[in-house]
Amino acid sequence: MTTRNPMKDQVAIVGLGSTGFTRDGDRSPLAMALAAATEAIRDAGLTAADIDGVVATSEPGADGPEVIAAALGITEATHHTKPTPVAMFSLLDAARAVFTGAADHVLVVTPVVMGPWNSRRAADDPWRRGTRSSILPIPEDAGKAAAYAAWASRYIHEYGASKDPFARIAINSRTNAAHNPLAAIATPLSFGAYDAARMIRDPLNIYDMDLPVDGADAFVLTTAERARALPHHPVLIHAATSGIVGKNDEDQLVGLHRTGQHVVVEQLRRHSDLWIDDIDLFYPYEGFTIITLAWFENCGFCPPGGAESFLREHWNDDAQRIEIDGRIPVNTHGGSLSEGATRGTGHVREAVHQLRGTAGPRQVEGAQAALVTPGGFFFNPQGAVLRRA
Amino acid sequence: MPENREDDQQLIDRFGGHGINRDNAAHFRGRLERRLLMSRCGDCGRWQHPSRPMCPDCWSWNMTPEEVSGRGTIHLLMELHQGPPAEGVDYRDGHPVVTVELEEQPALRFTSTVTADFPDDDLEIGAPVELEWIDRDGTPMPVFRTRSA
Repeated sequence: MTTRNPMKDQVAIVGLGSTGFTRDGDRSPLAMALAAATEAIRDAGLTAADIDGVVATSEPGADGPEVIAAALGITEATHHTKPTPVAMFSLLDAARAVFTGAADHVLVVTPVVMGPWNSRRAADDPWRRGTRSSILPIPEDAGKAAAYAAWASRYIHEYGASKDPFARIAINSRTNAAHNPLAAIATPLSFGAYDAARMIRDPLNIYDMDLPVDGADAFVLTTAERARALPHHPVLIHAATSGIVGKNDEDQLVGLHRTGQHVVVEQLRRHSDLWIDDIDLFYPYEGFTIITLAWFENCGFCPPGGAESFLREHWNDDAQRIEIDGRIPVNTHGGSLSEGATRGTGHVREAVHQLRGTAGPRQVEGAQAALVTPGGFFFNPQGAVLRRA
Repeated sequence: MPENREDDQQLIDRFGGHGINRDNAAHFRGRLERRLLMSRCGDCGRWQHPSRPMCPDCWSWNMTPEEVSGRGTIHLLMELHQGPPAEGVDYRDGHPVVTVELEEQPALRFTSTVTADFPDDDLEIGAPVELEWIDRDGTPMPVFRTRSA
């Protein structure tokens, strides 16, 4: 457990690109990756010749960094990796490559691809049928995604929680998505519609789960020093980490009182000069609404089990969204529940847009710092504090 | 046990969807005899599930499959309203999936479903259960039935 953070404020996110997200995609994973990548490189004021690092996530059905590099016409690269999906694995890898001098301008490409296992439309698509998933084809599997419903039932049992805080997470995302042209679904959601929703894995209904979508995000990272010469105001990675507990098999996790989220939060607190009283924006992951409740509690906004009363107290009823202390909006882009299952890249992209002042109609004036917490409970909790240079 | 490729292939074919591998094969062989086997360390006595080749508590490689009682309490519970097709599974009323904490050791858990006649009133977190065997597609499957505490 280290207090060292020599990378603090040394690496900047300088380029953003996104295809936007859709449930009706008809482009190849490579076409989506290249569309996002070229946009991000142009946004950074760079060309393919400047890119000497390529990080491409190991999304099922998507292409590796060697294919991306060839297809983009990158000359040569000295850093090329294929991290697990979920945003910070790739961004941390890229940041560390920049910081250590492995490469100067690292492209991160993070496509998401609907698969036959999570979308009926994808199952009917002959171009996708061969794509494989690691999810077991048996009903009694508390592994992977299904475990969130199982632990949601445990949360409700332990704290006597109602579904009200779950509904507020879902409604907040839809409200904020209204002004995000990249979002797959941007229609508002009411408490009544949430309560009447189709159960998928009781206690979680269809609005408690993110949307399988097609699309891609891309980022360009470089040193804070180089960033000063590039077009946009630099956004610095102040602190960033991933974290797991050793006993992290989904149904063997000892309890909600000690998950990878706690490890992430404690590491960020050791590494960051800024914490929840200092931030202007909060981006907790909501691939499943239970994850978000846990992030609120584990980041210290409220005690364990306190999310229900906290969200009610910090709810703007006119706007139908969460505003912490009337000041800090949450998932200003609509999160994974509305934008689509970006695996947290949308949360990071939106935080960078806000901090450099390019968030358009969603812009929070004067935002200086954001806390971004992608990932769930088991093998992928992560967090970052980003700040405007 | 000497390697028997034909026997191994039959086991793999039978449990193909379950993530079977060399390290958990004994657990699945046990299922064919309607015995719920879990990996236990011969040195420190701790149980481990899913089965892995080394004890994470004492780094002993002396891991042996042993039968558990199958008695425990429901720790996690969900009801699936959609999912992969399986014999005897009807998603229309919600197919229960329970993670049972076994009495052998805190946080030693096994995930399955419950018997078809499991009383609705007993289906809740904290409810005491015990092991029962059913057949799915001709293969024995460990599930849970209610028991008095």
